[in-house]
Amino acid sequence: MSRAPEKPNDSPATRPGLRDFFYDRMGMSVAAGLAAKKKVPIHRSTPFYFLGGMALFLFVIQIVSGVLLSLYYKPSPDQAFESVQAFMTEVDFGWLIRSVHSWAANLLIGILFLHLLTAYMMRAYRRPRELTWATGILLLALFMAFGFSGYLLPWNQLAFFATRVGTALVGVLPVVGQDLLLLARGGENVTGDTLSRFYALHVAILPLLTLAMLGFHLFLVQHHGMSVPDREALRLGGSERLPTMPFVPDFLLRDAVGWYLVLGILAALAALFPWELGEKAAPFSSAPEGIKPEWYFLFMFQALKQLPGHILGIEGELLGVLFFGCAGLVIFLIPVLDRGQISRLVLNILAALAVVFFIVMTAWGYFDKGSLRLILGASLFLGVLSLAISFSDRGTLVRRILWMLTALATLLLIIGISQELYQ
Amino acid sequence: MEGSCDKSDKCPRRSWLVRVLVGMNLVAIGSLLYPITRFLRPRRGTRHGTLNVVAPFRVDQLRPDADGEWPAPFEFAGKPCVLVRTSDGEIKAFNAICTHTDCTVKCRPEEGDIFCSCHGGVYDLNGQNVSGPPPRPLEAYKVILRGKPGREEIIVSRT
Ligand code: FES
Repeated sequence: MSRAPEKPNDSPATRPGLRDFFYDRMGMSVAAGLAAKKKVPIHRSTPFYFLGGMALFLFVIQIVSGVLLSLYYKPSPDQAFESVQAFMTEVDFGWLIRSVHSWAANLLIGILFLHLLTAYMMRAYRRPRELTWATGILLLALFMAFGFSGYLLPWNQLAFFATRVGTALVGVLPVVGQDLLLLARGGENVTGDTLSRFYALHVAILPLLTLAMLGFHLFLVQHHGMSVPDREALRLGGSERLPTMPFVPDFLLRDAVGWYLVLGILAALAALFPWELGEKAAPFSSAPEGIKPEWYFLFMFQALKQLPGHILGIEGELLGVLFFGCAGLVIFLIPVLDRGQISRLVLNILAALAVVFFIVMTAWGYFDKGSLRLILGASLFLGVLSLAISFSDRGTLVRRILWMLTALATLLLIIGISQELYQ
Repeated sequence: MEGSCDKSDKCPRRSWLVRVLVGMNLVAIGSLLYPITRFLRPRRGTRHGTLNVVAPFRVDQLRPDADGEWPAPFEFAGKPCVLVRTSDGEIKAFNAICTHTDCTVKCRPEEGDIFCSCHGGVYDLNGQNVSGPPPRPLEAYKVILRGKPGREEIIVSRT
Protein backbone atom coordinates (compact mmCIF):
# COMPACT_ATOMS: atom_id res chain seq x y z
CA MET A 1 0.00 0.00 0.00
CA SER A 2 2.60 2.48 1.03
CA ARG A 3 4.63 3.87 -1.76
CA ALA A 4 7.62 4.64 0.40
CA PRO A 5 10.82 4.19 -1.50
CA GLU A 6 12.74 1.04 -0.75
CA LYS A 7 15.07 1.53 2.12
CA PRO A 8 18.08 -0.68 1.68
CA ASN A 9 18.81 -0.78 5.42
CA ASP A 10 15.26 -1.85 6.38
CA SER A 11 16.05 -5.53 6.29
CA PRO A 12 19.67 -6.42 6.68
CA ALA A 13 19.71 -8.89 3.87
CA THR A 14 17.22 -9.54 1.13
CA ARG A 15 15.34 -12.45 2.63
CA PRO A 16 13.58 -14.77 0.29
CA GLY A 17 11.02 -17.30 1.45
CA LEU A 18 7.62 -17.37 3.13
CA ARG A 19 8.91 -16.69 6.65
CA ASP A 20 10.60 -13.50 5.53
CA PHE A 21 7.57 -12.46 3.52
CA PHE A 22 5.61 -12.23 6.75
CA TYR A 23 8.58 -11.09 8.80
CA ASP A 24 8.84 -7.92 6.78
CA ARG A 25 5.16 -7.23 6.27
CA MET A 26 4.01 -7.77 9.84
CA GLY A 27 6.61 -5.51 11.37
CA MET A 28 8.08 -8.49 13.15
CA SER A 29 11.35 -6.67 13.57
CA VAL A 30 9.63 -4.46 16.15
CA ALA A 31 8.40 -7.48 18.08
CA ALA A 32 11.77 -9.18 17.77
CA GLY A 33 13.49 -6.05 19.02
CA LEU A 34 11.15 -5.87 22.02
CA ALA A 35 11.65 -9.54 22.78
CA ALA A 36 15.41 -9.21 22.60
CA LYS A 37 15.35 -6.26 24.98
CA LYS A 38 13.04 -7.77 27.59
CA LYS A 39 14.95 -9.00 30.61
CA VAL A 40 13.74 -10.67 33.78
CA PRO A 41 15.65 -9.98 37.01
CA ILE A 42 16.83 -12.99 38.96
CA HIS A 43 16.40 -13.00 42.73
CA ARG A 44 14.84 -14.99 45.51
CA SER A 45 11.26 -14.09 44.55
CA THR A 46 11.62 -14.64 40.82
CA PRO A 47 9.42 -17.79 40.88
CA PHE A 48 6.44 -15.58 41.75
CA TYR A 49 6.70 -14.00 38.33
CA PHE A 50 5.34 -17.28 36.96
CA LEU A 51 1.94 -16.88 38.58
CA GLY A 52 0.69 -14.34 36.07
CA GLY A 53 1.73 -16.55 33.17
CA MET A 54 -0.04 -19.52 34.73
CA ALA A 55 -3.23 -17.50 35.08
CA LEU A 56 -2.96 -16.42 31.47
CA PHE A 57 -2.53 -20.03 30.40
CA LEU A 58 -5.63 -21.05 32.35
CA PHE A 59 -7.57 -18.23 30.75
CA VAL A 60 -6.71 -19.62 27.33
CA ILE A 61 -7.90 -23.04 28.50
CA GLN A 62 -11.13 -21.41 29.67
CA ILE A 63 -11.71 -19.82 26.28
CA VAL A 64 -11.16 -23.08 24.43
CA SER A 65 -13.20 -25.28 26.77
CA GLY A 66 -15.89 -22.60 27.08
CA VAL A 67 -16.32 -22.34 23.33
CA LEU A 68 -16.59 -26.13 23.17
CA LEU A 69 -19.24 -26.20 25.87
CA SER A 70 -21.25 -23.53 24.11
CA LEU A 71 -21.69 -25.88 21.15
CA TYR A 72 -24.08 -28.05 23.17
CA TYR A 73 -25.36 -25.83 25.94
CA LYS A 74 -28.87 -24.36 25.71
CA PRO A 75 -29.57 -21.37 27.95
CA SER A 76 -33.17 -21.80 28.98
CA PRO A 77 -34.63 -23.01 32.26
CA ASP A 78 -36.34 -25.95 30.55
CA GLN A 79 -33.28 -27.07 28.67
CA ALA A 80 -30.15 -25.87 30.45
CA PHE A 81 -29.90 -28.68 32.97
CA GLU A 82 -30.92 -31.33 30.45
CA SER A 83 -28.46 -30.09 27.84
CA VAL A 84 -25.58 -30.22 30.32
CA GLN A 85 -26.67 -33.65 31.46
CA ALA A 86 -26.94 -34.80 27.86
CA PHE A 87 -23.53 -33.66 26.73
CA MET A 88 -21.93 -35.07 29.85
CA THR A 89 -23.31 -38.51 29.07
CA GLU A 90 -23.80 -38.61 25.31
CA VAL A 91 -21.03 -36.53 23.80
CA ASP A 92 -17.56 -38.05 23.70
CA PHE A 93 -15.46 -36.48 26.44
CA GLY A 94 -18.35 -34.14 27.31
CA TRP A 95 -17.83 -34.86 31.01
CA LEU A 96 -14.13 -34.11 30.66
CA ILE A 97 -14.54 -30.77 28.89
CA ARG A 98 -17.06 -29.62 31.48
CA SER A 99 -14.88 -30.86 34.30
CA VAL A 100 -11.85 -29.08 32.85
CA HIS A 101 -13.83 -25.84 32.50
CA SER A 102 -15.02 -25.95 36.12
CA TRP A 103 -11.70 -27.00 37.61
CA ALA A 104 -9.73 -24.52 35.53
CA ALA A 105 -12.03 -21.74 36.70
CA ASN A 106 -11.31 -22.62 40.31
CA LEU A 107 -7.57 -22.99 39.76
CA LEU A 108 -7.55 -19.69 37.91
CA ILE A 109 -9.12 -17.84 40.82
CA GLY A 110 -6.78 -19.56 43.24
CA ILE A 111 -3.74 -18.56 41.21
CA LEU A 112 -5.02 -15.03 40.87
CA PHE A 113 -5.33 -14.81 44.67
CA LEU A 114 -1.71 -15.92 44.98
CA HIS A 115 -0.68 -13.53 42.22
CA LEU A 116 -2.38 -10.71 44.11
CA LEU A 117 -0.82 -11.69 47.41
CA THR A 118 2.70 -12.04 46.04
CA ALA A 119 2.41 -8.82 44.06
CA TYR A 120 1.42 -7.15 47.31
CA MET A 121 4.34 -8.70 49.18
CA MET A 122 6.79 -7.62 46.49
CA ARG A 123 5.15 -4.20 46.62
CA ALA A 124 4.93 -4.39 42.87
CA TYR A 125 2.29 -1.64 42.91
CA ARG A 126 4.84 1.12 43.59
CA ARG A 127 5.19 3.98 41.17
CA PRO A 128 5.02 3.72 38.15
CA ARG A 129 2.99 0.49 38.36
CA GLU A 130 -0.15 1.80 40.08
CA LEU A 131 -2.28 1.17 37.02
CA THR A 132 -0.89 -2.32 36.59
CA TRP A 133 -2.13 -3.03 40.10
CA ALA A 134 -5.52 -1.40 39.48
CA THR A 135 -6.12 -3.31 36.25
CA GLY A 136 -5.06 -6.49 38.04
CA ILE A 137 -7.67 -5.96 40.75
CA LEU A 138 -10.31 -5.23 38.12
CA LEU A 139 -9.32 -8.43 36.31
CA LEU A 140 -9.73 -10.39 39.54
CA ALA A 141 -13.20 -8.87 39.93
CA LEU A 142 -14.03 -9.79 36.34
CA PHE A 143 -12.92 -13.37 36.87
CA MET A 144 -14.97 -13.63 40.04
CA ALA A 145 -17.93 -12.36 38.02
CA PHE A 146 -17.16 -15.06 35.46
CA GLY A 147 -17.28 -17.60 38.25
CA PHE A 148 -20.50 -16.27 39.70
CA SER A 149 -22.34 -16.09 36.38
CA GLY A 150 -21.02 -19.43 35.18
CA TYR A 151 -22.11 -21.15 38.37
CA LEU A 152 -25.79 -20.58 37.52
CA LEU A 153 -25.66 -21.84 33.94
CA PRO A 154 -26.17 -25.58 34.64
CA TRP A 155 -29.40 -24.54 36.42
CA ASN A 156 -29.10 -26.93 39.34
CA GLN A 157 -30.50 -26.56 42.85
CA LEU A 158 -27.28 -25.41 44.52
CA ALA A 159 -26.52 -22.87 41.82
CA PHE A 160 -30.08 -21.60 41.71
CA PHE A 161 -30.22 -20.82 45.42
CA ALA A 162 -26.64 -19.61 45.59
CA THR A 163 -27.53 -17.12 42.86
CA ARG A 164 -30.63 -16.02 44.74
CA VAL A 165 -28.57 -15.42 47.86
CA GLY A 166 -25.72 -13.77 45.96
CA THR A 167 -27.88 -11.37 44.00
CA ALA A 168 -30.01 -10.59 47.06
CA LEU A 169 -26.89 -9.10 48.64
CA VAL A 170 -26.93 -6.40 45.97
CA GLY A 171 -30.52 -5.65 46.87
CA VAL A 172 -29.71 -4.63 50.45
CA LEU A 173 -27.74 -1.58 49.31
CA PRO A 174 -29.55 1.64 50.10
CA VAL A 175 -31.18 3.68 47.29
CA VAL A 176 -29.82 1.85 44.24
CA GLY A 177 -30.12 -1.68 45.65
CA GLN A 178 -33.54 -2.56 44.27
CA ASP A 179 -32.77 -1.25 40.78
CA LEU A 180 -29.48 -3.12 40.68
CA LEU A 181 -31.27 -6.25 41.81
CA LEU A 182 -33.81 -5.93 38.99
CA LEU A 183 -30.99 -5.29 36.56
CA ALA A 184 -29.04 -8.34 37.69
CA ARG A 185 -31.96 -10.73 37.86
CA GLY A 186 -34.07 -9.40 35.04
CA GLY A 187 -37.07 -9.60 37.36
CA GLU A 188 -37.90 -9.72 41.03
CA ASN A 189 -36.89 -13.33 41.17
CA VAL A 190 -34.29 -15.62 39.67
CA THR A 191 -36.05 -16.86 36.53
CA GLY A 192 -35.32 -17.83 32.95
CA ASP A 193 -34.62 -14.18 32.25
CA THR A 194 -31.87 -14.28 34.87
CA LEU A 195 -30.38 -17.30 33.15
CA SER A 196 -30.34 -15.45 29.81
CA ARG A 197 -28.69 -12.44 31.40
CA PHE A 198 -26.05 -14.49 33.12
CA TYR A 199 -25.42 -16.35 29.89
CA ALA A 200 -24.91 -13.12 27.94
CA LEU A 201 -22.68 -11.86 30.71
CA HIS A 202 -20.65 -15.04 30.80
CA VAL A 203 -20.10 -15.56 27.09
CA ALA A 204 -20.17 -12.05 25.63
CA ILE A 205 -19.90 -9.11 28.01
CA LEU A 206 -17.30 -10.41 30.45
CA PRO A 207 -15.02 -11.90 27.78
CA LEU A 208 -14.92 -8.62 25.88
CA LEU A 209 -14.21 -6.59 29.00
CA THR A 210 -11.64 -9.12 30.17
CA LEU A 211 -9.78 -9.18 26.87
CA ALA A 212 -9.58 -5.39 26.82
CA MET A 213 -8.49 -5.17 30.45
CA LEU A 214 -6.03 -8.01 30.04
CA GLY A 215 -4.51 -6.35 26.98
CA PHE A 216 -4.01 -3.18 28.99
CA HIS A 217 -2.57 -5.09 31.95
CA LEU A 218 -0.09 -6.98 29.76
CA PHE A 219 0.88 -3.84 27.91
CA LEU A 220 1.67 -2.14 31.21
CA VAL A 221 3.67 -5.14 32.41
CA GLN A 222 5.64 -5.07 29.17
CA HIS A 223 6.05 -1.31 29.28
CA HIS A 224 7.33 -1.06 32.86
CA GLY A 225 9.23 -4.33 33.00
CA MET A 226 9.26 -6.63 36.01
CA SER A 227 9.10 -5.04 39.43
CA VAL A 228 11.94 -5.89 41.79
CA PRO A 229 11.25 -6.10 45.54
CA ASP A 230 13.01 -3.39 47.56
CA ARG A 231 14.82 -5.86 49.71
CA GLU A 232 16.40 -7.67 46.78
CA ALA A 233 17.44 -4.41 45.17
CA LEU A 234 18.90 -3.20 48.45
CA ARG A 235 20.88 -6.35 49.01
CA LEU A 236 22.79 -5.86 45.81
CA GLY A 237 22.85 -2.09 45.92
CA GLY A 238 20.33 -1.05 43.28
CA SER A 239 17.99 -2.96 41.04
CA GLU A 240 20.26 -2.42 38.01
CA ARG A 241 22.88 -4.59 39.69
CA LEU A 242 20.61 -7.64 39.85
CA PRO A 243 21.50 -10.47 37.49
CA THR A 244 18.94 -10.91 34.72
CA MET A 245 17.92 -13.46 32.17
CA PRO A 246 16.51 -12.75 28.74
CA PHE A 247 12.74 -13.20 28.47
CA VAL A 248 13.13 -15.10 25.19
CA PRO A 249 13.93 -17.91 25.44
CA ASP A 250 15.14 -18.38 29.06
CA PHE A 251 12.16 -17.06 30.99
CA LEU A 252 9.61 -18.21 28.42
CA LEU A 253 10.83 -21.78 28.69
CA ARG A 254 10.59 -21.61 32.47
CA ASP A 255 7.11 -20.16 32.04
CA ALA A 256 6.25 -23.16 29.89
CA VAL A 257 7.27 -25.42 32.76
CA GLY A 258 4.75 -23.54 34.90
CA TRP A 259 2.07 -24.08 32.26
CA TYR A 260 2.76 -27.78 32.09
CA LEU A 261 2.58 -27.94 35.85
CA VAL A 262 -0.84 -26.30 35.78
CA LEU A 263 -1.96 -28.52 32.91
CA GLY A 264 -0.88 -31.60 34.84
CA ILE A 265 -2.72 -30.57 38.01
CA LEU A 266 -5.78 -29.60 35.97
CA ALA A 267 -5.87 -32.86 34.04
CA ALA A 268 -5.50 -34.89 37.22
CA LEU A 269 -8.24 -32.99 39.03
CA ALA A 270 -10.63 -32.99 36.07
CA ALA A 271 -10.22 -36.68 35.36
CA LEU A 272 -10.12 -37.95 38.95
CA PHE A 273 -12.83 -35.70 40.37
CA PRO A 274 -15.32 -35.05 37.58
CA TRP A 275 -17.44 -32.00 38.35
CA GLU A 276 -20.85 -32.92 39.73
CA LEU A 277 -24.07 -31.69 38.19
CA GLY A 278 -26.47 -32.17 41.11
CA GLU A 279 -30.24 -31.88 40.85
CA LYS A 280 -32.22 -29.72 38.50
CA ALA A 281 -33.36 -26.43 40.01
CA ALA A 282 -36.91 -26.39 41.35
CA PRO A 283 -37.62 -22.67 41.67
CA PHE A 284 -40.54 -22.91 44.08
CA SER A 285 -39.29 -25.64 46.36
CA SER A 286 -37.63 -25.03 49.70
CA ALA A 287 -33.90 -24.51 49.63
CA PRO A 288 -32.05 -27.80 50.13
CA GLU A 289 -29.53 -28.24 52.94
CA GLY A 290 -25.94 -27.26 52.34
CA ILE A 291 -26.37 -24.29 50.00
CA LYS A 292 -22.84 -23.10 49.31
CA PRO A 293 -21.25 -20.80 46.80
CA GLU A 294 -17.94 -21.62 45.13
CA TRP A 295 -15.05 -21.71 47.57
CA TYR A 296 -13.80 -18.22 46.71
CA PHE A 297 -17.06 -16.68 47.85
CA LEU A 298 -17.30 -18.96 50.85
CA PHE A 299 -15.56 -16.60 53.27
CA MET A 300 -18.16 -13.91 52.57
CA PHE A 301 -21.00 -16.41 52.78
CA GLN A 302 -19.76 -17.77 56.09
CA ALA A 303 -19.19 -14.32 57.54
CA LEU A 304 -22.66 -13.12 56.50
CA LYS A 305 -24.13 -16.21 58.09
CA GLN A 306 -22.76 -15.13 61.48
CA LEU A 307 -24.29 -11.66 61.41
CA PRO A 308 -27.52 -11.25 63.37
CA GLY A 309 -30.58 -9.66 61.79
CA HIS A 310 -29.79 -6.24 63.17
CA ILE A 311 -26.66 -4.59 64.48
CA LEU A 312 -27.26 -1.24 66.18
CA GLY A 313 -30.50 -0.89 64.26
CA ILE A 314 -28.90 -1.50 60.86
CA GLU A 315 -29.63 -4.67 58.93
CA GLY A 316 -26.82 -7.13 59.48
CA GLU A 317 -26.35 -8.12 55.86
CA LEU A 318 -26.12 -4.48 54.77
CA LEU A 319 -23.26 -3.97 57.20
CA GLY A 320 -21.61 -7.12 55.91
CA VAL A 321 -21.92 -6.06 52.28
CA LEU A 322 -20.59 -2.59 53.06
CA PHE A 323 -17.70 -4.13 54.98
CA PHE A 324 -16.64 -6.31 52.05
CA GLY A 325 -17.16 -3.44 49.64
CA CYS A 326 -14.82 -1.25 51.69
CA ALA A 327 -12.27 -4.06 51.92
CA GLY A 328 -12.30 -4.36 48.13
CA LEU A 329 -11.89 -0.62 47.78
CA VAL A 330 -8.92 -0.60 50.15
CA ILE A 331 -7.24 -3.35 48.12
CA PHE A 332 -7.88 -1.41 44.93
CA LEU A 333 -6.40 1.75 46.45
CA ILE A 334 -3.30 0.19 48.02
CA PRO A 335 -0.90 2.04 45.69
CA VAL A 336 -2.35 5.34 46.93
CA LEU A 337 -2.63 4.31 50.57
CA ASP A 338 0.96 3.17 50.88
CA ARG A 339 2.71 6.44 51.61
CA GLY A 340 5.34 5.71 54.18
CA GLN A 341 6.60 3.53 56.98
CA ILE A 342 3.53 3.82 59.19
CA SER A 343 0.85 3.38 56.56
CA ARG A 344 2.82 0.41 55.26
CA LEU A 345 2.82 -1.16 58.69
CA VAL A 346 -0.93 -0.65 58.99
CA LEU A 347 -1.48 -2.14 55.55
CA ASN A 348 0.70 -5.14 56.37
CA ILE A 349 -1.22 -5.82 59.56
CA LEU A 350 -4.52 -5.47 57.71
CA ALA A 351 -3.28 -7.78 54.97
CA ALA A 352 -2.20 -10.42 57.48
CA LEU A 353 -5.58 -10.15 59.21
CA ALA A 354 -7.37 -10.43 55.87
CA VAL A 355 -5.45 -13.58 54.95
CA VAL A 356 -6.17 -15.16 58.34
CA PHE A 357 -9.83 -14.13 58.07
CA PHE A 358 -10.09 -15.61 54.58
CA ILE A 359 -8.52 -18.90 55.62
CA VAL A 360 -10.46 -19.33 58.84
CA MET A 361 -13.80 -18.44 57.26
CA THR A 362 -13.21 -20.67 54.23
CA ALA A 363 -12.22 -23.64 56.37
CA TRP A 364 -15.18 -23.05 58.64
CA GLY A 365 -17.62 -22.75 55.76
CA TYR A 366 -16.24 -25.71 53.88
CA PHE A 367 -16.46 -28.40 56.52
CA ASP A 368 -18.84 -29.15 59.32
CA LYS A 369 -16.38 -31.56 60.86
CA GLY A 370 -13.77 -30.01 63.14
CA SER A 371 -10.86 -32.21 62.07
CA LEU A 372 -11.41 -31.53 58.37
CA ARG A 373 -11.62 -27.84 59.15
CA LEU A 374 -8.31 -28.15 60.92
CA ILE A 375 -6.74 -29.91 57.92
CA LEU A 376 -7.93 -27.37 55.40
CA GLY A 377 -7.06 -24.41 57.61
CA ALA A 378 -3.62 -25.68 58.50
CA SER A 379 -2.68 -26.59 54.95
CA LEU A 380 -3.82 -23.23 53.63
CA PHE A 381 -1.80 -21.55 56.38
CA LEU A 382 1.24 -23.55 55.40
CA GLY A 383 0.81 -22.56 51.78
CA VAL A 384 0.65 -18.87 52.57
CA LEU A 385 3.49 -19.07 55.11
CA SER A 386 5.74 -20.67 52.54
CA LEU A 387 5.15 -17.60 50.38
CA ALA A 388 5.94 -15.26 53.22
CA ILE A 389 9.17 -16.99 54.17
CA SER A 390 10.80 -16.30 50.83
CA PHE A 391 10.24 -12.59 51.40
CA SER A 392 12.00 -12.33 54.72
CA ASP A 393 15.70 -12.25 55.36
CA ARG A 394 17.58 -15.06 56.98
CA GLY A 395 18.03 -14.68 60.70
CA THR A 396 15.60 -11.82 61.24
CA LEU A 397 12.99 -11.93 63.95
CA VAL A 398 10.21 -12.03 61.35
CA ARG A 399 11.68 -15.10 59.78
CA ARG A 400 12.02 -16.84 63.12
CA ILE A 401 8.37 -16.10 63.92
CA LEU A 402 7.36 -17.41 60.51
CA TRP A 403 9.23 -20.66 61.11
CA MET A 404 7.55 -21.04 64.46
CA LEU A 405 4.15 -20.52 62.88
CA THR A 406 5.07 -23.06 60.22
CA ALA A 407 5.95 -25.60 62.87
CA LEU A 408 2.67 -24.87 64.63
CA ALA A 409 0.63 -25.23 61.43
CA THR A 410 2.39 -28.51 60.63
CA LEU A 411 1.58 -29.78 64.10
CA LEU A 412 -2.08 -28.82 63.67
CA LEU A 413 -2.13 -30.50 60.28
CA ILE A 414 -0.78 -33.72 61.77
CA ILE A 415 -3.32 -33.58 64.60
CA GLY A 416 -6.13 -32.99 62.11
CA ILE A 417 -5.10 -35.84 59.84
CA SER A 418 -4.60 -38.29 62.69
CA GLN A 419 -8.02 -37.40 64.11
CA GLU A 420 -9.55 -37.95 60.71
CA LEU A 421 -7.81 -41.33 60.32
CA TYR A 422 -8.61 -42.74 63.76
CA GLN A 423 -12.24 -41.86 64.00
CA MET B 1 -8.59 39.07 13.54
CA GLU B 2 -10.79 36.12 12.65
CA GLY B 3 -8.29 34.16 10.70
CA SER B 4 -5.58 34.17 13.33
CA CYS B 5 -7.54 32.73 16.23
CA ASP B 6 -6.97 29.04 16.26
CA LYS B 7 -7.34 28.27 19.97
CA SER B 8 -10.97 27.97 21.02
CA ASP B 9 -10.45 29.93 24.28
CA LYS B 10 -9.25 32.93 22.34
CA CYS B 11 -12.00 32.74 19.83
CA PRO B 12 -15.56 33.12 21.17
CA ARG B 13 -17.30 32.03 18.04
CA ARG B 14 -15.32 28.84 17.74
CA SER B 15 -15.70 27.96 21.41
CA TRP B 16 -19.43 28.36 20.98
CA LEU B 17 -19.31 25.94 18.09
CA VAL B 18 -17.31 23.46 20.11
CA ARG B 19 -19.83 23.69 22.91
CA VAL B 20 -22.68 23.06 20.52
CA LEU B 21 -20.82 20.12 19.10
CA VAL B 22 -20.20 18.62 22.53
CA GLY B 23 -23.81 19.24 23.53
CA MET B 24 -25.17 17.61 20.42
CA ASN B 25 -22.95 14.62 20.93
CA LEU B 26 -24.20 14.29 24.49
CA VAL B 27 -27.78 14.38 23.21
CA ALA B 28 -26.92 11.73 20.65
CA ILE B 29 -25.29 9.49 23.27
CA GLY B 30 -28.22 10.03 25.60
CA SER B 31 -30.73 9.07 22.95
CA LEU B 32 -28.73 5.91 22.31
CA LEU B 33 -28.46 5.02 25.98
CA TYR B 34 -32.07 5.70 26.90
CA PRO B 35 -33.62 2.81 24.99
CA ILE B 36 -30.82 0.55 26.18
CA THR B 37 -31.41 1.29 29.85
CA ARG B 38 -35.15 0.85 29.34
CA PHE B 39 -34.46 -2.42 27.56
CA LEU B 40 -32.45 -3.66 30.53
CA ARG B 41 -35.39 -3.20 32.88
CA PRO B 42 -37.24 -6.44 33.49
CA ARG B 43 -40.38 -7.07 31.50
CA ARG B 44 -43.70 -6.34 33.20
CA GLY B 45 -44.82 -9.92 33.67
CA THR B 46 -41.97 -10.71 36.01
CA ARG B 47 -42.61 -7.73 38.25
CA HIS B 48 -46.27 -8.25 38.98
CA GLY B 49 -48.34 -11.34 39.25
CA THR B 50 -51.77 -12.74 39.86
CA LEU B 51 -53.72 -11.53 42.85
CA ASN B 52 -54.79 -14.89 44.16
CA VAL B 53 -54.22 -18.58 43.67
CA VAL B 54 -55.78 -21.85 44.75
CA ALA B 55 -53.31 -24.00 46.64
CA PRO B 56 -52.52 -27.36 45.00
CA PHE B 57 -53.81 -29.22 48.07
CA ARG B 58 -56.89 -29.06 50.29
CA VAL B 59 -57.09 -28.42 54.02
CA ASP B 60 -57.10 -32.12 54.89
CA GLN B 61 -53.95 -32.64 52.84
CA LEU B 62 -52.07 -30.01 54.78
CA ARG B 63 -50.16 -32.37 57.07
CA PRO B 64 -46.77 -34.08 57.09
CA ASP B 65 -46.38 -36.91 54.58
CA ALA B 66 -44.98 -40.37 55.33
CA ASP B 67 -41.43 -39.00 55.66
CA GLY B 68 -42.53 -36.22 57.98
CA GLU B 69 -42.16 -33.63 55.21
CA TRP B 70 -44.60 -30.75 55.17
CA PRO B 71 -46.24 -29.95 51.78
CA ALA B 72 -43.68 -28.06 49.67
CA PRO B 73 -44.12 -24.41 48.76
CA PHE B 74 -46.00 -23.70 45.53
CA GLU B 75 -46.01 -20.80 43.14
CA PHE B 76 -48.03 -17.69 43.85
CA ALA B 77 -47.44 -14.62 41.67
CA GLY B 78 -44.01 -15.82 40.63
CA LYS B 79 -42.88 -16.46 44.16
CA PRO B 80 -42.94 -19.52 46.38
CA CYS B 81 -45.74 -19.56 48.95
CA VAL B 82 -45.69 -21.70 52.08
CA LEU B 83 -48.76 -22.75 54.08
CA VAL B 84 -48.55 -23.56 57.77
CA ARG B 85 -50.97 -24.55 60.49
CA THR B 86 -50.57 -22.78 63.82
CA SER B 87 -50.96 -24.60 67.13
CA ASP B 88 -54.60 -23.52 67.38
CA GLY B 89 -55.34 -24.95 63.95
CA GLU B 90 -55.42 -21.73 61.98
CA ILE B 91 -53.99 -21.87 58.44
CA LYS B 92 -51.56 -19.15 57.48
CA ALA B 93 -49.85 -18.34 54.21
CA PHE B 94 -46.51 -16.63 53.77
CA ASN B 95 -44.25 -15.54 51.00
CA ALA B 96 -41.65 -18.31 51.39
CA ILE B 97 -38.77 -16.06 50.40
CA CYS B 98 -36.56 -15.59 53.42
CA THR B 99 -36.20 -11.94 54.42
CA HIS B 100 -32.48 -12.44 54.88
CA THR B 101 -31.07 -13.14 51.43
CA ASP B 102 -33.91 -14.68 49.48
CA CYS B 103 -33.62 -18.41 50.04
CA THR B 104 -36.86 -20.38 50.18
CA VAL B 105 -37.93 -21.37 53.68
CA LYS B 106 -39.68 -24.57 54.73
CA CYS B 107 -42.08 -25.52 57.47
CA ARG B 108 -40.73 -28.03 59.99
CA PRO B 109 -43.77 -29.68 61.61
CA GLU B 110 -41.91 -31.40 64.49
CA GLU B 111 -40.05 -28.29 65.54
CA GLY B 112 -43.18 -26.21 64.97
CA ASP B 113 -41.30 -23.50 63.13
CA ILE B 114 -40.36 -22.20 59.71
CA PHE B 115 -36.74 -22.79 58.86
CA CYS B 116 -34.36 -21.43 56.27
CA SER B 117 -31.50 -23.82 55.58
CA CYS B 118 -29.30 -21.27 53.84
CA HIS B 119 -28.04 -19.56 56.98
CA GLY B 120 -30.12 -21.28 59.62
CA GLY B 121 -32.76 -18.57 60.04
CA VAL B 122 -35.80 -19.52 62.15
CA TYR B 123 -39.32 -18.03 62.11
CA ASP B 124 -42.26 -19.04 64.26
CA LEU B 125 -45.53 -20.20 62.70
CA ASN B 126 -46.80 -16.63 62.66
CA GLY B 127 -43.91 -15.70 60.40
CA GLN B 128 -42.04 -13.77 63.10
CA ASN B 129 -38.26 -13.98 62.84
CA VAL B 130 -37.10 -15.73 66.00
CA SER B 131 -33.40 -16.46 65.58
CA GLY B 132 -30.58 -16.41 63.06
CA PRO B 133 -29.86 -13.73 60.51
CA PRO B 134 -33.34 -12.84 59.14
CA PRO B 135 -34.00 -9.17 59.89
CA ARG B 136 -37.79 -9.07 59.33
CA PRO B 137 -40.84 -11.31 59.59
CA LEU B 138 -42.04 -13.16 56.51
CA GLU B 139 -44.54 -11.38 54.29
CA ALA B 140 -48.00 -12.71 55.17
CA TYR B 141 -50.80 -13.42 52.68
CA LYS B 142 -54.49 -13.71 53.30
CA VAL B 143 -56.06 -17.16 53.40
CA ILE B 144 -59.65 -17.88 52.43
CA LEU B 145 -61.19 -21.33 52.86
CA ARG B 146 -63.94 -22.42 50.51
CA GLY B 147 -65.97 -25.62 50.24
CA LYS B 148 -66.95 -28.55 52.44
CA PRO B 149 -65.78 -28.11 56.06
CA GLY B 150 -62.67 -30.18 56.68
CA ARG B 151 -61.95 -30.52 52.97
CA GLU B 152 -61.95 -26.87 51.95
CA GLU B 153 -59.95 -25.46 49.12
CA ILE B 154 -57.31 -23.01 50.25
CA ILE B 155 -57.23 -19.69 48.41
CA VAL B 156 -54.25 -17.45 48.99
CA SER B 157 -54.49 -13.79 48.10
CA ARG B 158 -52.56 -10.59 48.56
CA THR B 159 -54.14 -8.37 51.24
S1 FES C 1 -31.53 -16.59 53.36
FE1 FES C 1 -32.68 -17.40 54.95
S2 FES C 1 -31.34 -17.32 56.61
FE2 FES C 1 -30.19 -16.38 55.03
